[in-house]
Amino acid sequence: MSKKWKHRPPAVFRLDQDHLIVDSVTKTRVSSERQAQIKSEPEFEALAITVDDSARSSRRGVRWAILFWCALGGLLLLAIGVAVNDLLTDLLARNQELGWLGLAFATLAVVSLLVIAVRETTGLMRLAKVEKLRQRAAEMIVSDNRIEARAFVHELLALTRKMPHLARGRADLEGHLGEIIDGSDMVRLAERELMTPLDQRARKLISVAATRVSVVTAVSPRAVIDILFVFGTALTLVRRLAFLYGARPGTLSLARLVRQVVMHLAVTGGLAASDSLIQQMLGHGIAAKLSVRLGEGVLNGLLTARFGLAAVDLIRPVPFAALPRPTLSDLMSEVLRSFGDAEEQQGSESSLAITEVQ
Amino acid sequence: MADLFEQLRLAAQALVEFGAHLFNPTIRLGVTGLSNAGKTVFITALVHSLVRGGRLPVFESLATGRIARAYLAPQPDDAVSRFDYENHISNLVGKRCWPTSTRQISELRVVIEYQSLSGYQHTLTLDVVDYPGEWLLDLPLLTKSYEVWATESIRLSRQRPRVDLAKDWHLHLATLNPESTEDEQEALTAARLFTEYLRACRDKNYAMSLLPPGRFLMPGDLANTPALTFAPIEPSTEGPPPTGSLWAMMRRRYESYRAVVVRPFFRDHFARLDRQIVLVDTLAAINAGPDALLDLEHALEQVLNCFQTGRKTLLSALVRPRIDRILLAATKADHLHHTSHDRLETILNRLVQGATAKAELAGAHVDVVALAAVRATREAMVRRGRQQLPCVLGVPFAGEAIAGEIFDGDTEAAIFPGDLPDDPTELFRSDKSAFRGLATASWQNADFRFLRVRPPVLELTENGVAALPHIRLDRALQFLIGDQLV
Repeated sequence: MSKKWKHRPPAVFRLDQDHLIVDSVTKTRVSSERQAQIKSEPEFEALAITVDDSARSSRRGVRWAILFWCALGGLLLLAIGVAVNDLLTDLLARNQELGWLGLAFATLAVVSLLVIAVRETTGLMRLAKVEKLRQRAAEMIVSDNRIEARAFVHELLALTRKMPHLARGRADLEGHLGEIIDGSDMVRLAERELMTPLDQRARKLISVAATRVSVVTAVSPRAVIDILFVFGTALTLVRRLAFLYGARPGTLSLARLVRQVVMHLAVTGGLAASDSLIQQMLGHGIAAKLSVRLGEGVLNGLLTARFGLAAVDLIRPVPFAALPRPTLSDLMSEVLRSFGDAEEQQGSESSLAITEVQ
Repeated sequence: MADLFEQLRLAAQALVEFGAHLFNPTIRLGVTGLSNAGKTVFITALVHSLVRGGRLPVFESLATGRIARAYLAPQPDDAVSRFDYENHISNLVGKRCWPTSTRQISELRVVIEYQSLSGYQHTLTLDVVDYPGEWLLDLPLLTKSYEVWATESIRLSRQRPRVDLAKDWHLHLATLNPESTEDEQEALTAARLFTEYLRACRDKNYAMSLLPPGRFLMPGDLANTPALTFAPIEPSTEGPPPTGSLWAMMRRRYESYRAVVVRPFFRDHFARLDRQIVLVDTLAAINAGPDALLDLEHALEQVLNCFQTGRKTLLSALVRPRIDRILLAATKADHLHHTSHDRLETILNRLVQGATAKAELAGAHVDVVALAAVRATREAMVRRGRQQLPCVLGVPFAGEAIAGEIFDGDTEAAIFPGDLPDDPTELFRSDKSAFRGLATASWQNADFRFLRVRPPVLELTENGVAALPHIRLDRALQFLIGDQLV
């Protein structure tokens, strides 16, 4: 009788016989497995955030602007090269020692430039990796693939290897890797074990930044100071959050990240506006009735918090599935509470805030 | 008329309970499963891991420490015996044997004290009922008249492989004339032969599932009463039976069986469920062959149709409670390697596809899972020549036989039960390419052999209780009650 599927008949091996090699299965890699996907997860709405910047590259024809900037850059590079070369020959002609010193400086500059380039590249790659991890996690929660989820958890463990306060979570998670847990459950488990402490810190970072922005806006004597301060705080916030979630960005990748956050805000802004923003604006309106500055302060704090939340969405290596996403209203209630405290002792706070700006 | 009265009674009951549950949230978990599906083991493992704290990483509220404690509380119903959790656990851990088949209804209440995500203290009461799985087959009788049931039973008994087992009863049935005057002795003989036929069908070589009425196989306290002394006979004409005939007597007894046994059973234990887990012993049916699988499919379809499923609304909660989460669990998943669990799940999904489609359409959440409430095996990859066989390691019971080996109950062995197909429809073929089970082949050349394995040797933790190993019990709990504990 023939079977349509690959069927091997039952077999048995008594363990008291000794012509067997019995391995522990946790170490065995199963090479391939056709996955049966039979369940969908009604309680999870996959949220994969992809910032699409393919629109620019899809433009056809010669891109003159880029050509121009490249040519100009090449010229500049040549000019610098010639200038340095001239300088060095000049120095050598004047004095042998001075020439060698100049050469040493030039080498040092080139080497450090290389190092910076390498670091920036790795920073960018790390950022891309985190983004990819998040996408894969979102896919796995839907597909429930056991083997891929294991690989994902290993990568997540590698990413968080250097975070000391996750030691306990990592140890627990490594213990669970040997158990029979399905793909989506594994991803959720990893999220719960590894992201909970990070999320708490992220909330803290965002609410502190929002509070500071609110206070400074409310008490600052000039608008310029507000703007500078808000901008600086937002930048620091994104950088800190990125470090917190393991992306460790360099300057370029930070710039890229900030750009993505702004775009993400633009994309999701419309959605969020319907619920929380209106509420918050209303709150702001009431605050503005009490005092114009207070109103502005709350609004700026609100924007900072939104910015921080958008950044978390983009740099968290696992999408929010098992844990609740921090909401603006939670954060703002914290901010307002501390802001209220700050208002009471405005005198002392204002001087403190201004020294911070300077 | 009786049905209308019954519905009113159920609605009134629901209304009273709705009020009580406002102050004391209660979940009635319906553990449904035919006999031998593993209900008692599941309940024992569930209670044990809640009360003693098991290793349940996927059960979020317990794993993150939000459950402060869970304890057994006095059950609500004084007339029903208590689920003997302590005894079951000591048998499992101490004597290393599975619970014997359940003979009567028992009940248990677990109270869970937990802290919600927003920080408030709450309690959740979980009511669980254990009962003989045979009785579950009575539920479809609620909507069948005697004539419908008798015709169906007789038609079913003429199919293979039942027809060989029903020989004696068929011989006696041929001698009966439905319109002859009623005769107690004839009824007794018919009932006895019919019961013997049902019992023979249940043998593990045939593993038939659709064997109503359930009390014939597990009479409980009703043994030898007239309510259990009837059997199907072929109605000779359309319309009502002649007064005083054998047919009329059988029919009267069937009706009283429904009134005395089935209706209270349904009313007290199944009409008001909030969550349901359907335990299915798919592997026993696969052991026996394609006929057993088809029979299981029909039995599950009929049983699951008796339950009210769908999204919970205020009105439904007031008048007719609905089940809004159903978990279908293929039990004894530890009898095969975890790489085959997905295939087991697709097979189960195929078995219950009608019922799940209906429930999902009505807005209930449905999930399918391969489960082992108590895991009795470990896993191993056995290399034989170039072949790698994913096996399970366990101690089969004495008398279990596979591939030329008969076990004595003490030897540990690596068992490879046979590859399950990716496409479940392969198993449901009944033509020439059907697989061979025990019903048609000897145990040496059956295509699948899933052996019964003894409970594992357990290590006691520091505080003297054993943590029961399991497969996906945590996932089951998370699905069934996790959303109530947020």
